[in-house]
Amino acid sequence: MSELQLSNVRKSYGGLEVIKGVDLDIKSGEFVVFVGPSGCGKSTLLRMIAGLEEITSGDLTIDDMLMNDVDPSKRGIAMVFQSYALYPHMTVRENMGFALRFAGVPKVEIEKRVMEAANILELGPLLDRKPKQLSGGQRQRVAIGRAIVRHPKIFLFDEPLSNLDAELRVHMRIEIARLHKQLAATIIYVTHDQVEAMTLADKIVVMRAGVVEQVGSPLDLYDDPANLFVAGFIGSPKMNFLKGVIETGDGEVYARLPDYADTKVPVALTHVAPGMPITVGIRPEHFKEQGSASLDLTIDMLEHLGGETFAYARHGNGELVVIETKNGRGLKSGDGIAARFDPACALLFDESGKRLR
Amino acid sequence: MRTSTANIASAILTYGFVGLMAFLSVFPFIWMALGATNSSIDIIKGRLAPGEALATNIANFFTLVNVPLVFWNSAKVTIFATVLTLAVSSLAGYGFEIFRSRHRERLYRAMLLTLMIPFAALMIPLFIMMGKMGLINTHIAVVLPTIGSAFIVFYFRQSTKAFPSELRDAAKVDGLKEWQIFLYIYVPVMRSTYAAAFIIVFMTAWNNYLWPLIVLQSNETKTITLVISSLASAYYPDYGVVMVGTILATLPTLAVFFFMQRQFVQGMLGSVK
Repeated sequence: MSELQLSNVRKSYGGLEVIKGVDLDIKSGEFVVFVGPSGCGKSTLLRMIAGLEEITSGDLTIDDMLMNDVDPSKRGIAMVFQSYALYPHMTVRENMGFALRFAGVPKVEIEKRVMEAANILELGPLLDRKPKQLSGGQRQRVAIGRAIVRHPKIFLFDEPLSNLDAELRVHMRIEIARLHKQLAATIIYVTHDQVEAMTLADKIVVMRAGVVEQVGSPLDLYDDPANLFVAGFIGSPKMNFLKGVIETGDGEVYARLPDYADTKVPVALTHVAPGMPITVGIRPEHFKEQGSASLDLTIDMLEHLGGETFAYARHGNGELVVIETKNGRGLKSGDGIAARFDPACALLFDESGKRLR
Repeated sequence: MRTSTANIASAILTYGFVGLMAFLSVFPFIWMALGATNSSIDIIKGRLAPGEALATNIANFFTLVNVPLVFWNSAKVTIFATVLTLAVSSLAGYGFEIFRSRHRERLYRAMLLTLMIPFAALMIPLFIMMGKMGLINTHIAVVLPTIGSAFIVFYFRQSTKAFPSELRDAAKVDGLKEWQIFLYIYVPVMRSTYAAAFIIVFMTAWNNYLWPLIVLQSNETKTITLVISSLASAYYPDYGVVMVGTILATLPTLAVFFFMQRQFVQGMLGSVK
C-alpha cells in the first residue's frame, strides 16, 4: 500500500498542452477512478503515473519519493491494459511470471506467487494455455494476475473492461471490487463508464480537457457537483439544465424560468443580483408528484424499464426534459404532463457554469 | 438463360487463363526434370519425353563438379546473408516504425529511393570498395552488400505497424529494456513475418548470380549458380548435366518454401492477429 501525490503535473506534445496542472493526493488503499469524456487526458495521466509518458513539468511522488524519471518497473506499480497486452507466445503461467523472471526472482518464488494469484483469480486450470485459447474474461483475469504477482504498491487499470460484453463487464466489475477488498491495494482506474466509476470508486476524479474538474466520493459528486460539467457528466440519464434568471419580489429571492411562466425556484443565496442569468439543474428522479414547482411539457418518447419509466418530454420551445417516474406505465407519447419538482432539490449554476452555493 | 451463358463463358475464360498461367509456371520444371533424363543432343532436338541418360548425367555432373564444396560455398553465403539481412533489416524496420524523430520519414524515403538504383550502377563502385578492403574472391564480399536490404526493411516496417504498442508498454512495466523488448517480445510475436522474409532473402541469396560472378574468381569459392552457368557456357555444353545441376540447385529453395509456406502466407497476411 502506498501514497501517491501529483503536484502541478503537466504534459505537452510540442506546443499542445494535454494535461494542464493536475494536483491530486491518493491515499493508501484507496480506489481512485479517473473519469471523463474521450480525449480528456485521463489515460495520459495514468500513463504518466506508470512512467510510459514523460512528465513535462510538476512532481509525481510515491511514498514521498520523486518518481518523474524513475523507470516504470522500479515505481512499484503494475498496469492492466484495455487490450490485456498478454504476450501471445507465452502460456498463462509464463505471462504471469515474466516480470519476476526479469527481476531475478528465484524460480520457486515465481511459481509460488503465480499459484497464489491463480488461486485468487481461479486461473489454475488455464495456466498452461496460450492467450489465444482463452475467452475475453479469462484474458482479463490473466492480465490482472500478471499485475498481482508483482506485489505492486499501486495497481493501474486502463479501461480494463471496455473490450468485454455487458454481462461479463458486470461480473468483472464485481471481481475487481472483491480483489480490492482482498488485497487492500491502492488502485487507480481509468474509465469513461460512469457506472464503473460510481460502483467501484472510493474517490472519483472527473477530468475535462486536461483539467481536474472535481475530486470526491461518488455520492458527493452526484449530490454536490462543483460545476455544470460534473453535474451533467455524473448521473444517467444526465441532469436537466433549464435557463433561468434571478428575480426578487415579496421579500424573497428566486430564480424564474422564463420559458415556464409560473415556475419559481426560491434561492437562499445572498451573492446573487436581480437580472443575473443562471442555469437550474434538476435530476430526472427529482420530479415528484408532490413537488411545489412544475413544468408544463408534452411527452415525446417513453422508456419503460420495468421498475421505472423515463419520459423524454419537450417544452414548446423544443427544450428536452428527462423525467424519471415510478408510475409511468399509463403514460403515452403526446400526453401533456405537469412535471412537478421540489425546488429544494434544484441546483443553481452561474453563467460560467460554476455552482452557486 | 443469358446470365447462365455469360457465367459459363466467364468460367471458361477464367479457367483457361488460370490453366495457361499454371502451365507457364510448371513447364520449366517439367522440362528441367525431363531434360535431366535425356542426353544433350535429345534436349537440343526438343525431346519432351523421359529418356535413359539420367544416371550418366548425374555421374558426369559429380565428375565435373566438386559438389560438396560448391554446395558448402552456396550454403555458407546464403545462411550468413539470410541471418544478417533478417537481423539488420528487422531492427531497422522496427526502429523506423517505433521511434519517432523529426528526420525519420525523410530518411526512410531516401532509403526507399535506393530501390530505384539498378544493381548494374552499383557494381563497379562496390567492386572498387571490396578491392580496397581486400575482400575480392571472398564470401564476405558476396554477403556484405546484400545485408542492408531496403525492401526487407520496408517489409518489416509495414509489418511492425500491426505490432500492438500495448505489448511494448506491458514489457516496459515488466522491466524490459528496449533491446530485450525486441528480442523477447517482438521477434517471437512476429515470427511469421520473419518466416516470410526468410524465404524471400534465402531464395535471393541462394540464386544470387551477377555479384558473385564479379567478386568470386577462383573455383574454390564459386557458388552453385556460377558453376551451373559455367557448365552451360562451355564450348560443348552438356545440357543433360546442366539440367541435373539445376534440379539439385533448386532443391534447397523448394524445400525451404514447402516447409515454411504456411508461415510465409501467414507472414504476408500479417503476424499479429
